[in-house]
Amino acid sequence: MISLQNVSKFYPPTQKGGKPVLAVDDFDAQIEAGEFVCIVGPSGCGKTTVLNMVAGFESVSQGDIVVNGVPVRKPGPDRAVVFQQPSLLPWMTVFDNIGFGLTLQEGRKTRSHDKVAKIIEIMGLKGFENHFPYQLSGGMQQRAAIARALITEPQMLLMDEPFGALDAQTRTDMQKFLLTIWDRLRPTVLFITHDVEEAIVLADRVIVMTPRPGRIAQVIDIGLGRPRNWDMVLSPEFLRYKKEVLHILRPPHSQTAG
Amino acid sequence: MGYSYMASDELDAESAEGALEQKVWKEDKKPYRGYVPWLVAVIMIALWWGVTALNLFPPTALPSPGAVVHDFITVATVGYSGEPLLTSTLYSLGRITTGFIAAVVVGVPIGFWMASTDWVFLAIDPLLQFLRPIPPLAYIPVMIVWFGIGETSKVVLIFFCTIPIIIISAMSGVKSVQETRIRVAQCLGANKRQIFRYVIFPSALPEIFTGMRVGIGIAWTCLVAAEMIAASKGLGWMIESAGNELQIGVVFVGIVMIGLLGYGMELIIRSIEHRVTPWKGKA
Repeated sequence: MISLQNVSKFYPPTQKGGKPVLAVDDFDAQIEAGEFVCIVGPSGCGKTTVLNMVAGFESVSQGDIVVNGVPVRKPGPDRAVVFQQPSLLPWMTVFDNIGFGLTLQEGRKTRSHDKVAKIIEIMGLKGFENHFPYQLSGGMQQRAAIARALITEPQMLLMDEPFGALDAQTRTDMQKFLLTIWDRLRPTVLFITHDVEEAIVLADRVIVMTPRPGRIAQVIDIGLGRPRNWDMVLSPEFLRYKKEVLHILRPPHSQTAG
Repeated sequence: MGYSYMASDELDAESAEGALEQKVWKEDKKPYRGYVPWLVAVIMIALWWGVTALNLFPPTALPSPGAVVHDFITVATVGYSGEPLLTSTLYSLGRITTGFIAAVVVGVPIGFWMASTDWVFLAIDPLLQFLRPIPPLAYIPVMIVWFGIGETSKVVLIFFCTIPIIIISAMSGVKSVQETRIRVAQCLGANKRQIFRYVIFPSALPEIFTGMRVGIGIAWTCLVAAEMIAASKGLGWMIESAGNELQIGVVFVGIVMIGLLGYGMELIIRSIEHRVTPWKGKA
């Protein structure tokens, strides 16, 4: 369980003598074990900052982040992160990249070869074990990055716009794929995106944020049932959710947000 | 022929199958350009020969290729001042290699240390920037006083001239590591030693290799200065000494030898680089 208790984040002033920048303001949310939560908001709304704080990459200015009863101080293998940019290590083969977490825990020689081979098969990367990341397509690289995050069987998966750089078709495939994996392993997922449809398709709950300072505008429970059927993106309920989120992000009387 | 599959919707099933069989993977062949360096060499020598054949300069200023080849054979067999060319070459190679390897072995850890610890950077950087612009010739008296006229002073001179670029490249290699990659390791539970071993060190490798390639060039340029320290063997010594005796052909032999050996070492480092950092420039 991830508990964000009145979390705020200040960045130092950009100019000398200026005011500190409030990036995240009073963010308060509970994410239950096994829940899939999406944070959606326009770019620059502080959603990545929230994820970085949960991951332990950035400190909290005010408030507390508590994961399974323990306050977050630094990154740890209980919270796996999938990044927006391709983050595979270019000097390792796909196999070594995916097995990296096991290498760190058990050593390269003693790590479980079968475990890596199995997740490679699940991820549809068989035959590419000995390739280097630059020899893979963007979608395959991101699948490998997800495999790397999953191999240590973390209870929590933090995903920062992981499909943002992919084309529409690959993105849909990856979303389906992620839900299949989530259904099987049931990690707690915190998923950051600026894509409203993606958030609704994936999440049990969508947290909508407004920009500068980043605040929670609304939390919407998505009652679309599981497993998700992809035709539902045309269903009236789906469109109702979409309209609801878009109304918060772009109020009808305003032209600025979005 | 090669594009027959583009019209495959017009073909019936049977011939479409035939078209499929014709689609074989063909390697993209770049036109062969390996002859270019050899062509340049031939043109240079031809120009050289042409200029000397026209007697534009006196042969004491610019000997002909033939005269240099003649001197080469003499120096290689009889030797210069009693020292065969092979001995001189091996001595020079030994000094360069020792000084250069010592610079890499000492310089890379110093660079890493400077990149990771503020006060180390603040302590060493002024020294480094102070030493860097001093020409190798200026070191010679100091080297003789400190290290005598034996091999040590020559190797130390090469070491001192080469180490700044190695330190700087190792340091900037560490500093260029992508934050995301460190985070990847952190959130998979890596400790500091593991982050260094699996992320920071490989990240720095491409820049270290670039520094080594520049450094080996600098090492060769220091050679003549190093061998001005009371040497009686070595290519630098041979050039210096033959120059004083106006044996310009022998000077040319030395110059060509240094050029070729430097080029050879560059090729060796380059091939190690290709093997160790195949991802360079691709990620």
